[in-house]
Amino acid sequence: MSKDDEWPEIHGVPDVPGWSHPHQPPAQHCYLGEGSKPEQLAYQEAFAKLKNWFRANSLSVLAYGTGCGSIELRPLATSRFDYERFGFSTQGTPRQANLLILSGYLSIKTLKRVIRVYEQMPSPKWVVGLGSCTINGGMYWDSYATMKQLDLYVPVDMQIAGCMPRPEALLEGFAALMTKIKAGKANGYIDYTRRLDWYRENQKKVIKDWDLPEYNW
Amino acid sequence: MTMKAFVEELSARFEVLWTHAQRDDLFQFGVPAVQAVPLLSYLKAHTPFIQLTHYTVVDWIEDGEFQMTYLLTDPVGRRALMICARIDRETAEADSLYKLWPQAVTYEHEMNEMFGIHFPGSPRMGLDFCLEKWTNTPPMRRDFDTVAFVKEMIPERPGREFITTRDYIGQKVGEKRLLHDD
Amino acid sequence: MTTDPSNLVEGAPTEVNPEKDVQLWIGPQHPGITGNMSMQIWVRGDEIRLGRTHIGYLHRGFEKLIERRKFIQAFPIVCRICVPEPDTNEYLLAASIEELAGLEVPEKGLWLRTLVMEMSRLAATIQALGGQAGSMGLGLVPNWTYTLRDYILDAFEELTGGRVYHMYTVFGGVRRDMPDGFKERLEETLKLIEKRLPAIDNVVFDNAVFQKRAVGIGVVKPEWVDEMGISGPTARGCGLPRDIRRDFPYLKYGEIDFDVTTHEGGDIFARSMVRRGDIVESIKIIRQILARFPMQGRFCAKLPNMLHWEVPKGQTFVRAEASRGEMSYYAATDGSDKARRVHVRGPSYVHAMSLLERMLPGTIYSDMTPMMVSMQTCPPEIER
Repeated sequence: MSKDDEWPEIHGVPDVPGWSHPHQPPAQHCYLGEGSKPEQLAYQEAFAKLKNWFRANSLSVLAYGTGCGSIELRPLATSRFDYERFGFSTQGTPRQANLLILSGYLSIKTLKRVIRVYEQMPSPKWVVGLGSCTINGGMYWDSYATMKQLDLYVPVDMQIAGCMPRPEALLEGFAALMTKIKAGKANGYIDYTRRLDWYRENQKKVIKDWDLPEYNW
Repeated sequence: MTMKAFVEELSARFEVLWTHAQRDDLFQFGVPAVQAVPLLSYLKAHTPFIQLTHYTVVDWIEDGEFQMTYLLTDPVGRRALMICARIDRETAEADSLYKLWPQAVTYEHEMNEMFGIHFPGSPRMGLDFCLEKWTNTPPMRRDFDTVAFVKEMIPERPGREFITTRDYIGQKVGEKRLLHDD
Repeated sequence: MTTDPSNLVEGAPTEVNPEKDVQLWIGPQHPGITGNMSMQIWVRGDEIRLGRTHIGYLHRGFEKLIERRKFIQAFPIVCRICVPEPDTNEYLLAASIEELAGLEVPEKGLWLRTLVMEMSRLAATIQALGGQAGSMGLGLVPNWTYTLRDYILDAFEELTGGRVYHMYTVFGGVRRDMPDGFKERLEETLKLIEKRLPAIDNVVFDNAVFQKRAVGIGVVKPEWVDEMGISGPTARGCGLPRDIRRDFPYLKYGEIDFDVTTHEGGDIFARSMVRRGDIVESIKIIRQILARFPMQGRFCAKLPNMLHWEVPKGQTFVRAEASRGEMSYYAATDGSDKARRVHVRGPSYVHAMSLLERMLPGTIYSDMTPMMVSMQTCPPEIER
């Protein structure tokens, strides 16, 4: 097997060891030796762009109101602001959702459940941090029970600032997220698999009551 | 009868340390800690003050005491009594009310976790209420420094600067025009 | 394992049999739970034997934060205790500290505070009615009610500057005056709400499915009300006319003419009917406020320097009627420029913890969510 350092980052296709790439012929795995690089086949980039376009236009939001910001998520669903025209829908279980909106602050107790929920979601998955509490703790900066920086515990693809953001600001944030997904840059879930040790170390530092499985990405 | 006369009648049976009429419908008085539960049972059984609306504790760290505060309401007569009793801060034990009012279980559970007060006999002592596996000092006590705790235990995003209000206004209007000295 | 002996009702199971009863965690991530709290229930077949509420997922340590801030800095913190209805909290903090400091609020400030309180009550009650219908599967009604609430939030934005969190009440009055033309625009919004009520009647109250699922379910007995401290629509649904605006009048409620809606039965249907009555009464109250509102005068008292304001030592207890029930604050000061202790008691402290655990044994599992929603449990005010 070739080392995965030598595989280039093909547009939209993650190069994580152990992943099988269904659109790549399996013969390429065996015939590569030291120092050779695979050619990017012509259809791969177009296919990756198509895949990302489909993914960005059909995000399923998990119905989980973790904090204050979730009060502005229901008005988004009504016809005045209407996020369904962008393809969003709501799901009840993490197994069927691929967008996790963390609306506002997270207490340490909720953080443990959010990690479990995030790990239960199937890839590819994205996380949006709503409000300034996910950026730097917000107005609860001196509280003993909330976390101060969400980036350390869960990979965040888009942060929307505000306290709390208006539905128009949320739509702008979602549109930016969709652009990012279409460009192939929203790879927070791959980052989680690669740097799981780093995330785990950060999580265990704040969560004292640790009883989650170790390897669940 | 007025609330003042009512409490004067009570002081024939129980020891009343001080009284204060805060408003027309709120009368405050203090009793010693051992008399708190007998007084409350008497009020619930024989007077119209039957509803326990609030039950809390104030930390007077400079006196070395906790002040337990009980608030009873007379829903029909539309008035309320606030009863204050002081307990020692080191031992931090007070009598439980859960046999009189079922909702006292929640209040005592919270006070046990937040202040570290033990209510003998109350269910849910020692169980988690809001915090999981908390091993520090009970967080609502005055000697728990929450900023020091946050700096030590919860990592923050670098780049936040702290500036006092005085310096911020001084930057805007110039140091000479500041009137107060802190 | 056994339940707390204090919270038993006649005939309720006291023990859980680990061989017959299944323990379920209805955790924080669940579309049926209002907000972010979890329930631990033991089920035998379809019937719940015991239940316990677990909270703490929204704990921010508000009371510790308030103790670290000066009085005026506590307003942005305090309005985030209850998200659908932040004005009640702001008013209570202002009222308790003003009482201890001896600060008087001018007439116009009192009228504006009453208006804002009643508008937020109306928005929260409308949202609760929609939530109740949504919990039974009538998904159309929450869409209507969230839209109506949006129009009220537009009015709030015009009056106070913010949609959800207003921070409008300050010590001594309010922050801004009413803009021109506000009365007419608010009147249009009230007409829209009144126009929608018959449609809600058709879909919700006259609906056989809703009646089957709501009548006789989640019964609260009248003798529990005064003992446990139950208030709001939960108490009025048992036939007892408990309303803080009538019993302990505050702001301008003593001068406004309104009725206290009650309904017999104590079940989910009764509480929903009380909420519907509350909406009609709130619209009546807002119309009276707009008609009697004084256009001249100060809206805020002349305040000392808020950053160096010290309040004399004392303690007090103030209450207000939120859409869910009685919300009250206990405030104790010690003569410095920061509060010694501010303790917030929300109505869900009793409704969602002791009352729910008392009501759960014997109910069917699928009725648990409508029951919880009918008491309008709001977890952040339990654990702040």
